[in-house]
Amino acid sequence: MKIVLRLIIVLMMLSSSVFAQKYMTKNGKITFNSDAPMEKIEGKNNQVKVIVDATTGDLAFQVLITSFEFKQALMQEHFNENYMESPKYPNSTFKGKITNAKDINFTKNGKYNAVVEGDLTIHGVTKKVKENGSIEVKDGKVSVNSKFNIAIKDYKISIPGAVAGKIAESVQIVVDATLEALKK
Amino acid sequence: MKMWLKVVLVLVVVGIIAAIGLYIYINKPNKDIETAKTEYTLKADDIYKEYSANKAKADSLYNGKVIEISGNFSKIDAPSDTLVVAIFTQKQDTTNKAKSDDPFADLGGDIRCTMLQKYIAETKKLVPETAVKIKGLCNGMNGADLIFEKCSIVK
Repeated sequence: MKIVLRLIIVLMMLSSSVFAQKYMTKNGKITFNSDAPMEKIEGKNNQVKVIVDATTGDLAFQVLITSFEFKQALMQEHFNENYMESPKYPNSTFKGKITNAKDINFTKNGKYNAVVEGDLTIHGVTKKVKENGSIEVKDGKVSVNSKFNIAIKDYKISIPGAVAGKIAESVQIVVDATLEALKK
Repeated sequence: MKMWLKVVLVLVVVGIIAAIGLYIYINKPNKDIETAKTEYTLKADDIYKEYSANKAKADSLYNGKVIEISGNFSKIDAPSDTLVVAIFTQKQDTTNKAKSDDPFADLGGDIRCTMLQKYIAETKKLVPETAVKIKGLCNGMNGADLIFEKCSIVK
């Protein structure tokens, strides 16, 4: 009887480690930089939701636009009211796949290149994107990192003429999130 | 003094005042939420229910407002030494979960309060399932999570 019980416990432990294939965080970080000659604008958001399904390679992000913080209050106001229209479009999302998920061993420490493809929605506009990033597995935690540029006109974000020179047409987005296995 | 000199002096003074004013306007600091006047005082569960029931209405009432919420604190998320989030876990209606194509459906819903640096040590000492009052800036919903920023503990 005891042996059977032990066997069941061992099996349960094994299955939980094999099937704990989703990784998540609600504290991912996204930073964006607009490096125009006149002014450097940087916004930071520490409450980004990220989920990765290690078996299917599904990857999703969800960002609350009002949670981007700036050094100057005025920048944050303009960002929310004039550019991103956050009352109308409160969230940005990404839903897609790590296309080379098969090459990534989520149970073995190491750094892997990741190619991510999917739909990026900003300011109510959805675009197909394909970006490169990296996934680092360390002691059961999965770090997702990526750096890419987006053209603000692709997402119908209009910059008033008076400040057009201040804001770069291309904005760099930096994603830095450390995910943990999702406990059921 | 010659007239033209007076005019130039006045223009210079006006220019300096305008420049200082503009500088202050552009560089005005972020609102100090800790000392700002509380606009609403609510139970954590109640404000979450209001957002769940009618998001548009709750958005227009509470987004961008300084709010004090009280309730049973659940746990903290502390991904780094400088980032600590106090969490009030919320009950989810899971009846529609199977139908949902929301990739975040498994993550549940919380009220998540990013604490100010000076409250990090105190937040780490909070005992789960005890009553806590937190004041912060309500930023609205990120999926099923209600987000508060620049939070402090109210005594």
